[in-house]
Amino acid sequence: MTRTIILFGTESGNAEMVAEDLASELGGDPIAVVADMTDFDIADFTPTDAYIVVCSTHGDGELPSGARPLFDALQEAQPSLAGIRYSIFGLGDRSYETYSHGSEIIDEQLRSLGAERVGVYGRHDASDGSLPNDDALEWMRAVFIPA
Amino acid sequence: MDSSALPSDLPTIAIVGSGPSGCYTAQFLRKQWQGSEIVIFDRLDVPYGLVRYGVAPDHPGTKAVTKQFDRLFEQAGVRFAGRTLIGSAASRGDFTLDQLRAAFDIVVLATGLHADRSLSSPLAVVPGSDLPGVYGAGRLTRLINGHPDETVDGVRLGERVVIVGHGNVALDLLRLFLTAPEQLRELGIADDVVRAITAGPARQIDIVGRSQPETAKFDPAMLRELGKLAGIRFVSDAAPADLADITSSADSTSSADSTSSADSPNNAASPNNAASPNNAASPNNAASPNNAASANATRRDAVDALVAGSDPLATRTVRFRFGWVPDEITEHDQALHLTFRAAPATPDSDGSHGSDSTDSTDSTDGTDGTLSIAADAVCTAIGFTEHADAPLRRAHHESAEHLDLDRGVLGDGLYCVGWLRRGPRGTIPENRVDARMVANCIIADHTARLPHGTKPGYAVLARAADTTTLHHLIEELS
Ligand SMILES: Cc1cc2nc3c(=O)[nH]c(=O)nc-3n(C[C@H](O)[C@H](O)[C@H](O)COP(=O)(O)OP(=O)(O)OC[C@H]3O[C@@H](n4cnc5c(N)ncnc54)[C@H](O)[C@@H]3O)c2cc1C
Ligand SMILES: Cc1cc2nc3c(=O)[nH]c(=O)nc-3n(C[C@H](O)[C@H](O)[C@H](O)COP(=O)(O)O)c2cc1C
Repeated sequence: MTRTIILFGTESGNAEMVAEDLASELGGDPIAVVADMTDFDIADFTPTDAYIVVCSTHGDGELPSGARPLFDALQEAQPSLAGIRYSIFGLGDRSYETYSHGSEIIDEQLRSLGAERVGVYGRHDASDGSLPNDDALEWMRAVFIPA
Repeated sequence: MDSSALPSDLPTIAIVGSGPSGCYTAQFLRKQWQGSEIVIFDRLDVPYGLVRYGVAPDHPGTKAVTKQFDRLFEQAGVRFAGRTLIGSAASRGDFTLDQLRAAFDIVVLATGLHADRSLSSPLAVVPGSDLPGVYGAGRLTRLINGHPDETVDGVRLGERVVIVGHGNVALDLLRLFLTAPEQLRELGIADDVVRAITAGPARQIDIVGRSQPETAKFDPAMLRELGKLAGIRFVSDAAPADLADITSSADSTSSADSTSSADSPNNAASPNNAASPNNAASPNNAASPNNAASANATRRDAVDALVAGSDPLATRTVRFRFGWVPDEITEHDQALHLTFRAAPATPDSDGSHGSDSTDSTDSTDGTDGTLSIAADAVCTAIGFTEHADAPLRRAHHESAEHLDLDRGVLGDGLYCVGWLRRGPRGTIPENRVDARMVANCIIADHTARLPHGTKPGYAVLARAADTTTLHHLIEELS
């Protein structure tokens, strides 16, 4: 069965909330599964699954701490991700000059390991104090076609 | 995760305190036990603790996390019971902790730590730290954020202000003191509070800490934010980075250059920085523990950059003073007089004070290792502690049999989380990490225990309440 894995990387919880909303919009478990980049096993990357990556930005354009374990594991093992297809939605705040860089770090890494990004790069700007959920749902309906 | 529990298996949960640690704990527990009753009590009318009453009002992005918690309270089974104090003894609360424990299967204390730590030298409380004109940062930040317990009576900053402490809260205060009254009003700060903190207005602020820049507690990003304020001259008495590096590096100039290129404001701001191959390998340079040395260098660079980039002719001056420990505060000639002595040198600080060869006005940086500053007001921002008369003190509820603070366990079915568990340190996201850990322990303990979920929860408590309290609760919940 083809599943959609929604991988989130968060610092303060917004990206997780977005991931849960996206999953339930797609019909929930087992069709759409939410996974935290903190405890995702890189051996579980499967070409027959579709991936949605939701990742925020913290510090000065850095990865959120919840994304670091996955980033580090990939950096260390350098696995080939050829055949893996993902769409990405970045959370950030335009009042920082490093708007949305956290998601770009992961995006860059996935592509450098051979994964293919599909669809429009989605982003949410929190500078107006809004939550990212509605924008993310809209983005997914427009660009993401489950595998 | 096991979400197959039958409704009757679901525990009833009370959380005391609606700050980030309480709210994040509720989120994680709800994920495990959807549909279980979770009641979050707070003694105040409105939720969110220090996110509402501590975080600076000019940081709306940081306060925005409350939007996430708003959603939490919209979920079925989750309710906020405001204006409800939980105390150890009957006279000290709308409900006692014992009543809560009788009504709920699981009780989590997330009440934080709110008393300003008082100024102390290594040996004792600093004489004079209770003089009028000496204000704790907790009090000032609550006042600025409109906390119902605070009044502006007796608070008035003058032209000369001393801030003691070099943490982020000290820098929040510094930044707000330097902000124009109109802007403060726009942020929603009450008129009388704006008048009190801009009374001088402060034109000379000394911000004094015991560490050298490398080991100071502030985030470099906070200094960069200060650099955006116009019309301020920044001065520092710490030796500049290239001098400080001489002992540790054969080539001091290039060493200073290379550290600054990693994280200087300009570089961090350049769009291609994070995505470039070299940087992508270690995007979290400054924050990761094995790069502590570079974070320290970054902090010193941030001080140097702030000083170098500021207007030398500006009429308002901020002096960063590093490596000073407070000795005493006295009052005479209608001013407060602070005396500091040089902090003992540590391995990573040579204790030397670079030349603050400025036209110093009301201060003397003695060659004898003391510093005296005259001021109209003093703000202490040196951390928080438990109130001696807090209605719930953690130590009173630690059971010898069950206590395991590393897992957040106080007693049978009684837990603690957040600042109350770990002490008054750490950001909002750190409470999320903490809440996740404690929630996992709660889930493991509860799952291992039979029978599951036996206590009736909120309904029985509400019945037991006196009519006034009940009235408040109904009001809050409707
Ligand atoms: C001045 C200041 C500025 C800060 N700025 C930032 C920032 O910019 N960014 C950042 O990440 N972190 C910041 N922090 C840190 C952050 O606020 C804390 O990490 C966090 O709030 C701690 O969460 P908590 O839930 O443990 O406690 P709190 O947030 O203090 O929440 C405790 C809650 O319990 C309630 N309560 C207490 N006793 C009782 C009782 N007996 N009965 C009922 N209710 C009770 C209180 O009313 C309060 O709502 C700041 C802290 C301070 C003090
Ligand atoms: C301390 C702090 C630093 C931040 N730094 C950045 C940044 O450098 N660039 C950016 O685009 N957004 C930044 N943000 C905004 C967050 O990415 C945004 O609020 C996001 O919705 C948080 O998602 P999360 O809860 O999943 O971590 C920052 C937010 C905070 C509180």
